Amino acid sequence: MLPFRQTPDLADVQSVGIPRALLYYRYGVLWEAFFKALGRNVVVSSPTDRAVLAAGEALSVDECCLASKLYFGHAAQLIGQCDALFVPGYANEGRLASYCTKFQALPDLVASTFADRGVRTASLFVDRIGEKTSARRAFQDFAQRFGARPKEAAEAWQHAARAQTEHETALARKFAVDRARAQSAKGLAVLFVAHAYVGRDPYLGGDIVRMLESLGAQVVMADEADRHRAWKRSFDFSDTLPWAPTRELVGALLEALDAVDGVVLASAFPCGPDSMTNDAIARCVQGKPMLSLTLDAQSGTAGLETRIESFVDILAYRKKGGYLHG
Amino acid sequence: MVDYAQVSMKLEKLRPPKLVGKRPARGSRDDRHAQTKVAFFRYGYYDIAFKYFVEQVLDAEFVTLPPATRRTLELGSRHSNDFVCAPFKHILGDYLEALELGADVLVQFTGPCRLGYYGEVQESILRDLGYDFRMLNFAVVGGKPATEYIKLCKRTVNPRVSLKRGVGELVTTFRLIECLDSYHDAYLAHAGFAVDPEEPRRLQRAFYRTMRAATCRADVEAAFAAGLDALESMPARKPVDPVRVGIVGEYFTAVDPHSNLGVEEKLLGMGVEVARMLNITNRNLRYHEKNLRASASRYLRYDMGPTSTLTIAAAKKYAEEGFDGIIHLKSSGCTPEIDCMPVLQRISRDYGIPVLYLSFDSQTSDTGLDTRLEAFYDMISLRKAAPTASQLATKGTSR
Repeated sequence: MLPFRQTPDLADVQSVGIPRALLYYRYGVLWEAFFKALGRNVVVSSPTDRAVLAAGEALSVDECCLASKLYFGHAAQLIGQCDALFVPGYANEGRLASYCTKFQALPDLVASTFADRGVRTASLFVDRIGEKTSARRAFQDFAQRFGARPKEAAEAWQHAARAQTEHETALARKFAVDRARAQSAKGLAVLFVAHAYVGRDPYLGGDIVRMLESLGAQVVMADEADRHRAWKRSFDFSDTLPWAPTRELVGALLEALDAVDGVVLASAFPCGPDSMTNDAIARCVQGKPMLSLTLDAQSGTAGLETRIESFVDILAYRKKGGYLHG
Repeated sequence: MVDYAQVSMKLEKLRPPKLVGKRPARGSRDDRHAQTKVAFFRYGYYDIAFKYFVEQVLDAEFVTLPPATRRTLELGSRHSNDFVCAPFKHILGDYLEALELGADVLVQFTGPCRLGYYGEVQESILRDLGYDFRMLNFAVVGGKPATEYIKLCKRTVNPRVSLKRGVGELVTTFRLIECLDSYHDAYLAHAGFAVDPEEPRRLQRAFYRTMRAATCRADVEAAFAAGLDALESMPARKPVDPVRVGIVGEYFTAVDPHSNLGVEEKLLGMGVEVARMLNITNRNLRYHEKNLRASASRYLRYDMGPTSTLTIAAAKKYAEEGFDGIIHLKSSGCTPEIDCMPVLQRISRDYGIPVLYLSFDSQTSDTGLDTRLEAFYDMISLRKAAPTASQLATKGTSR
């Protein structure tokens, strides 16, 4: 489809607010570079704390997953701090490269949630299957809405995409190095499998990584694996698994399984994709001890610490030859 | 922050990581002259269309399932993840019962949410339980050209499927679905006002019986015309301005009476006129997402999920048409329909129309549901009798 010139309805937006939640952990580098290339200020909400969670819970329907509740807490924090909230919708980036429908619903969900608070949102929609809109197309059109000419829009995208690629390449390199180190090291190595917005949020999975490390385990982060390679590898697990981020985690798990002593899966309650996947992983991906953790807002960290300690004990015992038939 | 922790110690690799190994084609033990037995999951009255599809399109034998019982859901839940959506558990229970009844092939659809992944996970669970069957899983060819669908049907069910006949009969299957849906629309509009309260169910059963016996397009049309005629000429006492409720929500739970504990029948029993735009006709056969979304552009900029546009557009339509209430039905944990709720709350405020939100899981009780429905009915019928000032004000501004 030929691009139409977009109306520059966002030209007056000087500072853009980005909630530090959900896909920010996947595409934050791209987004920030993109807005900087357009000469805009970017305000990212500060890391999650109790107040963010409380605000998010108050704004969300009870049944929403914990990670999406945090998103609304972060969005609320940015009100008054920026001219517009950046709320992109990501439906899919191709066949079997979809996102949880939460990410596709966000623009309208945020608009409805803050309808009576006069919050201005700036949104785009990535949907290669339905609307035939790639991220590239979506962002270039979006840039024009900020008043960029087509050439400037293309440059902003290129600049952002390059920054993102560099970021992902660095992560993938780190994953490969960590995996190799895990394989050769004498100490314990644990593969941590969680969506980046769960595993890297200090209020959710961030604690788990810290605990594992303080118990002397080397942690390999599954979300750092080369995305395309991991996505392809995931077909060794499933033909129809729809979600790209889940596929990448499964692929990374299969890539690193033999190198580590154990696996920790962490999921935000009640994550739809994980509800379909984590049990199946525990059933089908065999060979190493696995700990599946479901995180919710109610309980404290004490229970978590006990569970992780006892799991690391199991791994250590096994490493010493405790379970001979492992 | 831990709610739930589970350790798994499968230290020996006893199987490859693939959920479902290479799908066995029709094995040599299959008698080439015996018909394959094909089962669907239970889904409201659509078993009639599934049967037609299996017999007329696939030229195979349809496994008819008896009505679901408590055991069905218990079976399904036992082998499912706790917080997977309820339809997964219902369907897994259906499959287990279908296998007990001798099914060789189980059918699963695809969709743009967890549904697209149901088939493979269910097949994997059932295989690990030791069942031997083939799965006609349309998710395997989802998004691919129609020829792939045909190949899949031939490979899985019947290599002798006739393309020419199959295409014609598929069109009739679609027509059959339209007839079933449009009969049901009329049923929801009239059944609450029959002079003899048993009459609508009796007519409906008779209609389903003749539809189930249809073997060609002419049978379908004749049964539909006769059924609709009988329903519309049924003695009824319908008030000029009855209480009207619109049902919206998730594709499985809002449609399947066993999953929603018969919400529609309960409302009809209270003398309510019910409408539900959500059905296969409107969501698949005549679905035009973009145009439907345009009708509710004030609330929707993008497609929010599998049935979201239909949920929002239908709710807005009911509000504009002066319905007295809206009931939103979904499985608990259904992400896309949860995300519709803030939008529905906005519609509710803008038009001054009450919305009742009901979420179903394997624990939902019948009496709890009755209480909530009765309270909702009392509220909307009182409002109807004496409109409040704010309601009058909204009526003035929002239209």
